Amino acid sequence: MVEALAAAGLAPGGLGLPWHIAIDLAVIASVLAAGFLAVQVADTRSGQRIAASLAELSRREAELRATLENMQQGVAMYDADYRLVTWNRQFREYLDLPDEFLEGRRTFADYIRYLAERGEFGKISDIEALVAQRLEPLAREHWLERTRPDGTILEIYRNPIPTGGFIAIYTDVTARRQAEGLLRDEEERFRAIDRAAPIAVVIANAKDQRVRHVNPYFVEFFGLQEAHQIDGLDDYTVRRMAALSLLERPLAEVFPDPAQGQELAALLARGKTGRMDQELRFVRPDGKELWVAASLEQLEFRGEPAVIACLSDITDRKRAEVELTRAMQAAEAANRVKSDFLANMSHELRTPLNAIIGYSQMLQEQAADDGQDDYLADLAKIERAGAHLLQLINDILDLSKIEAGRMSVFIEQVSIPALVGEVQSIIEPLAAKNGNRFVVDCPPDIGSIDSDVTKLKQSLLNLLSNASKFTNNGTVQLAVSRAGSDADARAGSDADSQGGASADAQISFHVTDTGIGMTAEQMDRLFQAFAQADSSTTRRFGGTGLGLAITRHFARMLGGDVSVTSEPGIGSTFTLVVPVHDRSSPPPAEAAGEPKRTISGDAAGALTVLVVDDDEAVHDVVGAMLGRDGYRVLHARSGPEAMTLAREQRPDAITLDVMMPQMDGWTVLSSLKADAELRDIPVVIVTMLNDRAIALSLGADAFLSKPIDWAQLSAVLKQCSRHHAESILVVDDDPEMRDMTRRMLERMGITVHEAADGAAALAWLEANPRPSIILLDLMMPEVDGFEVLDRLRQSDEWSNIPVLVATAKAFSADELAQLQRSTEKIISKGATLGVDLRTAIREMLQRTQAIVGG
Amino acid sequence: MPRILLVEDNEMNRDMLSRRLIRKGYDVVMAEDGRQGVELAGTALPDLILMDMSLPVIDGWEATRRIKASEATKAIPVIALTAHAMVGSQEHALDAGCDDFDTKPIDLPRLLGKIEALLQRGSAA
Repeated sequence: MVEALAAAGLAPGGLGLPWHIAIDLAVIASVLAAGFLAVQVADTRSGQRIAASLAELSRREAELRATLENMQQGVAMYDADYRLVTWNRQFREYLDLPDEFLEGRRTFADYIRYLAERGEFGKISDIEALVAQRLEPLAREHWLERTRPDGTILEIYRNPIPTGGFIAIYTDVTARRQAEGLLRDEEERFRAIDRAAPIAVVIANAKDQRVRHVNPYFVEFFGLQEAHQIDGLDDYTVRRMAALSLLERPLAEVFPDPAQGQELAALLARGKTGRMDQELRFVRPDGKELWVAASLEQLEFRGEPAVIACLSDITDRKRAEVELTRAMQAAEAANRVKSDFLANMSHELRTPLNAIIGYSQMLQEQAADDGQDDYLADLAKIERAGAHLLQLINDILDLSKIEAGRMSVFIEQVSIPALVGEVQSIIEPLAAKNGNRFVVDCPPDIGSIDSDVTKLKQSLLNLLSNASKFTNNGTVQLAVSRAGSDADARAGSDADSQGGASADAQISFHVTDTGIGMTAEQMDRLFQAFAQADSSTTRRFGGTGLGLAITRHFARMLGGDVSVTSEPGIGSTFTLVVPVHDRSSPPPAEAAGEPKRTISGDAAGALTVLVVDDDEAVHDVVGAMLGRDGYRVLHARSGPEAMTLAREQRPDAITLDVMMPQMDGWTVLSSLKADAELRDIPVVIVTMLNDRAIALSLGADAFLSKPIDWAQLSAVLKQCSRHHAESILVVDDDPEMRDMTRRMLERMGITVHEAADGAAALAWLEANPRPSIILLDLMMPEVDGFEVLDRLRQSDEWSNIPVLVATAKAFSADELAQLQRSTEKIISKGATLGVDLRTAIREMLQRTQAIVGG
Repeated sequence: MPRILLVEDNEMNRDMLSRRLIRKGYDVVMAEDGRQGVELAGTALPDLILMDMSLPVIDGWEATRRIKASEATKAIPVIALTAHAMVGSQEHALDAGCDDFDTKPIDLPRLLGKIEALLQRGSAA
């Protein structure tokens, strides 16, 4: 068998064939070997043995036939004359050959002709040429592949056999070729994406955190191609080279921004996947800012766990967001300015309007007295128009105050029956004007609530006057009820109706009319400012269209709300609900004109002393002593360290050695005093040298010589930090000015109180202990600076508080003389105000301390 | 003929209210700012004072405080005239010693009611 195989030249592996074909060939070889065996047997054995051999042969042939028929390939064998002698079922089926053809001992040329005529090879003009072409390679082993008309692809292998003839093996490779085509497509697609997609991709091994793949775009994304730029190379190639150079590098190192690289590497190491919430900011080597959104996914890469990060550029979006925020802030600021303007303007508008209303009323009275009735109707029209305009202005004022956040809520106990009674007395005549009946349904024992009576009343009046206006010859009803879990508790205790009230108890006011009603669409816009249900309504019924918007704002400010149900032609019910207990938002922290007390940083706690010395022993001793006395101690061993600590910690005082290496004490002192932020920190020079004059000339606040006398140091520090006990009342109507001054003074360790005008200042003085100094602006509304000075001079208690006047006003000689008598110092609000103010306050505080101390 | 001191810096308001009060039969004296108001209260000794609150030199609250602090004038009833929209100004007015307040724009019948009430209380006391 083995010999036979060798003889046939078909030993597996000997041809370097694909394994599946090699095996199939082995099968065929064994078929051939059986044939030889049969011939040998026939020559040498007796009849009996021949019969047995024939039986054996027949059996073997049957086996071989079965093997052949069950092969996945089509097999055809041709003899030395190239006639088809053996074939299997698969061959017949692949080529769709009829039995008559197969049984006819046809030649290979016949076979080609037959197929060609059948159209197997498409349109062939010269069939004989094709036949010749196919016959030509039969003497040697060869492969070919062709696609049949039905689309199946056949791989055909032909090889001569030793007996002359050749064997042809047909394999259907359609599926394999299709799979290969898909793979190729996929590869092309991947390559196209890799080249074109603006997404940086990096794959890192999950264990060693080293880069296994980066795409060329990654290089462009982070601007890493610089080093790989070679003349004549196109960009894509450069980027691919650069990408290759990043392989096997630690992940954190491939990013241009090491900190962000670490962060990303840490995220990858945690195995966190999915889109990251945070967006990372990188700075590229060329200095460009890059905002990146990263999407992480765990995967297997080359058989090992890995993480892929896809990074996309969101810089533009980020910038747009910043722009948007800025624009929004600008718009909000503009809106506030508008509201402020309106609030102020409304006041200006009201003044002449009051005159119009007033004079028309006056003339009506006069006309009535004088019997000139002709004028009365027209004068009444002027008055009514004026009153309407006034209502408009008042509504706009309210609304702009609400929008500007300047509408505050004053909570007090409000008796509901009393409120309802008051409202009733106002609404009754109004309802009667349109022939309406006004019905009130309010339980007399309903009790009281914590609310803002003005806003509550205005809201009810708005709802009721609307109801009266839009109803003719009908009924307007106000029904009040209490809702929430305290309703039962109330029934049981009439002594104190609020005794058992729970936190969610509410009072509902239902205002029902039988008027024209509204459609759903009209109700939608009802509570929006400047959107009356129908703009013609304003003309028909008057009113501003702002009442309901204001009512809703008020209701919400009071912790409640207002809602509506309505049916056109039948009527409407507005329901105003407010909590029994105050749930309104707290009023704005800084009500204008109210003095505000601010305690600076550490003033309430321990004072911080920065000890600067290169001698460790000094730190030990001074640190221990200061610590014992309740100071917080910072230690600096060198000049630069001292500067850093001073900037970072803003100590309340600094003790400074002079003789230090690197940067001596004088340099530190000069640097401190040259720094606008630090120059106000008192510095105590502690030295063995006797250089008091230099120390003070450089701006030191005190001078001590070593060895340190603890009592002396303690006294000096107390003196230095004494400003903390000092307070200044800053009176100025300009909030920015107050703020600037406050911050400057707080840096000096002074406690600052603020008053927004003269009246507030006087009120503050009455309610608080006297401040060390009053810093006074002259030009203020209501009670101005002169008036405040006047009052201070007249008062026994306040007459000796030093007053520092800061003003932009130019004075007459008389005014100046008057001011100089009543103030300590006058400085002008100019470019050097900050410096002037600091110097003046220092001087004044030293003087007061001298007085107190002396 | 009761004498009313009207302290009001706005010329038109002063003119209007004074003429209407005169038509109603009151004797009206006028001041244009808080300081004048305090002085006139002491010299003209009116039966009642109508005090605007936002006044120059010294404001209405302060003027009222001074009037109420002086022995000679403390018995004179003061009605504060406050602007409509100034929340809390009524409370301020009462704190400063005002006996009553009324809001601008002036509703004359309402104001007259308050004036009469205070004058009657004064004459009854």
